[in-house]
Amino acid sequence: MAVPKWLIVARNEYRITTSRIRKIRPYFPILVIGVLAVYVAFIAPAVASLFIDDFLAFIITLAAIPIVQILLFMIFFYFIILPITQTLKEIETGQLEIFLAAPIRPSDVLLGEFLGRMPFYAIAITVITGLLTAVLTPLGLDMVQIAIIIVIFAVTPLSAYWIGTVIAAVLRTRLGKTARGKDIGRALALVIALPMIAIMYAIMGGGLTEALVDPGTSGMVKAILGLLPSSWGAEVFIGFANNPGNIGAVGFETLTRFGGLLAFFVAVLWLGAKAANRAYSLETVSFVASSAKPDGVFYKTVKYLGGGGSFGTLLVSVFKDYGRRLENLSKIFYMVGLLAIMNLFLIKPDSSEDVMLMPQFILPILAAFVVGEVTLRGKENLFIYKKTPSGVGRLVKARLLHGWLVVVPIAAIVTAVSTILNPQTTFISLLTTTGLSILFVAACVAFVLGLFLLNPAFSDKSSNFGINFMITVFAIPNGLILIPLIVLDLPLLHILSYVTVPLSWLVGIVILYLGKRKLSRIE
Amino acid sequence: MKVVIHTDHLSKYYGKDGEIKAVDELDLEVYEGETFGLLGPNGAGKTTTVRLLNCIIRPTSGTATVNGYDILKKETEVKRVTGLLAESPGLYEKLSAHEFLEFMGALYDVPSDILIKRIDDLLKLFSLHKRRDNLLEGYSRGMKQKILIASALIHDPPILFFDEPTSMLDPRAALMVKDLIKKLADTAGKTIFICSHILPIVEELCDRIGIINQGRLIALGTVDEIIAETETKTLEEAFIAITGGVEEKELLAWREQKGGSA
Repeated sequence: MAVPKWLIVARNEYRITTSRIRKIRPYFPILVIGVLAVYVAFIAPAVASLFIDDFLAFIITLAAIPIVQILLFMIFFYFIILPITQTLKEIETGQLEIFLAAPIRPSDVLLGEFLGRMPFYAIAITVITGLLTAVLTPLGLDMVQIAIIIVIFAVTPLSAYWIGTVIAAVLRTRLGKTARGKDIGRALALVIALPMIAIMYAIMGGGLTEALVDPGTSGMVKAILGLLPSSWGAEVFIGFANNPGNIGAVGFETLTRFGGLLAFFVAVLWLGAKAANRAYSLETVSFVASSAKPDGVFYKTVKYLGGGGSFGTLLVSVFKDYGRRLENLSKIFYMVGLLAIMNLFLIKPDSSEDVMLMPQFILPILAAFVVGEVTLRGKENLFIYKKTPSGVGRLVKARLLHGWLVVVPIAAIVTAVSTILNPQTTFISLLTTTGLSILFVAACVAFVLGLFLLNPAFSDKSSNFGINFMITVFAIPNGLILIPLIVLDLPLLHILSYVTVPLSWLVGIVILYLGKRKLSRIE
Repeated sequence: MKVVIHTDHLSKYYGKDGEIKAVDELDLEVYEGETFGLLGPNGAGKTTTVRLLNCIIRPTSGTATVNGYDILKKETEVKRVTGLLAESPGLYEKLSAHEFLEFMGALYDVPSDILIKRIDDLLKLFSLHKRRDNLLEGYSRGMKQKILIASALIHDPPILFFDEPTSMLDPRAALMVKDLIKKLADTAGKTIFICSHILPIVEELCDRIGIINQGRLIALGTVDEIIAETETKTLEEAFIAITGGVEEKELLAWREQKGGSA
């Protein structure tokens, strides 16, 4: 009997995902099952015992249902965006031709891709449900109640993951055929996670949990989230927790909510299979080629800032190549968004010094995103400059100026806005914080540019890129701000003025010089 | 002779009101056991034709039959009787050569006892047997091309489509592929449909050729017939005469400005 085609695709997908552990592939499932068994039997109960008292107190509060709804919504949202971001980061349509030329139905491809990755999601689901079982057992829930709750926590992410897989396949088909589409995909992959980060920080910051104790607020959240299938299991969960061993007490809720969730799962499976034909296609979707408009005021200003002439033209070219990639712009949007979310939900600064702290951690990362792409277009791109007279010096100068012109205004605006939002801000403190921020970030740009030239990363997946990024994320804030803060025990503004800014310029100039030297010798 | 590929006003249009004619009213017949070459400049419609004949995309109008199966009604049957080496297909880089061919064979329902032996034979033929367990990400472009050719042959179909079969190969591998195509046609009786820019390959391998430009088939016949028709001496000259090229006097026109050089 012929093997079903979806099984062939699933096996292929599993092989691709486990290619790194090919040598232990035959034993991998046994190993995973063993580890999970130990987790469910011993680790999960031990972890649960740490917070079981708090949990028991929590489930009788008004906030319980909306919080569980929010948790389920986050799991749901996460499992939707996971396959989407994975696909968007690296849209490949080459393999589509293989499938489309072969005698296989698109729905089999979709199901196979879904099932092939499922073992890894099953691990995550087992971790969640294992912990749940450990938490629910002391409550005295009967086996049927526990089984229903486990199914809820399994079906919710599974539905979401299926929806995500279908959307990812459609997006791959729609976006993967043009360079512009791929760029849009990479841009979306980054910013799509921002809403979830906002919710997560809102919970971590504490404000949301406290707010939900209020009957009005919790009622509103419950009503809104109650519309989403992801939340239907929450009421069943809390109902069971409040009526252990008595499923009849919440029989109606169980029937409607749990039944509804199962019906939803079946419906999305069916609809996804129907959408598969659209998800796998090589039909050209657009023949509109992206074309450049004549230079406007912005590029003319950039050229002027570059001194006009050939260097001005070079600088404008760097700006165009950078700015026309949506991926680059999305990184800026992401970092600024992240900073705003952190300030709103997590940090809630109450002095102008506190306001200063967070941007100084985020802005070096922004600098890394902006100037760190100097080598990402590959060696051949660098050789274009190396081939030209004084090309290396011009590249460094153009990239430095480009980095400053992009990052410094953002740093100034972000710091100024954060400072103004603080009620204790004076005009002098506004000028001081903004000025220090500008000086610091300008030095960071020089440092990061030098670093990425010194240790070139020709792909954002290369280890060099990761190393450079880690140095930027950890070494700059820790070495230049946190350690001096702890060692010298001075106010932040003093540290920034007398230590961080001068030191960052010194290090920045040295690293940039070394980076330029390395670029001249690169082969 | 039996016609195995027959197109009837086959057309594929894109854009609003179909203003972009990728393939326009293509009428073509390819005979059993024949090696047919489709030539044309970039964007002429060669790959679109191959995709239409392999049921990867659907025509806007017209139809075609492949081995007697209508491409609109018998998609699965068409796919079973054809093997395709696409112009820029995606390999699964995280699979080994053996795993990839095993996957391709399974997609085409090759029985597993035959499949294992065939994979071994094909890998030996392409001198890749020793590297059968290496991941494809470590293969050179030429080696990847060999694996893709092997995957097009894995179900031993009667009709083979090769879109630029030797474009990424070194001279030795290109020669081997040429010999293989000859053997497939002469000894195994396969019908072969080649798209290529490399005129000497087409000239050497193909019994008949078609020249396509802007979606329309503008010449059809043997190489000698086309050369005679265009009153030229070589296929290259005939190709340029039919599809147009840059006039010699235009080649240095860009210098005839003030300043001449930088």
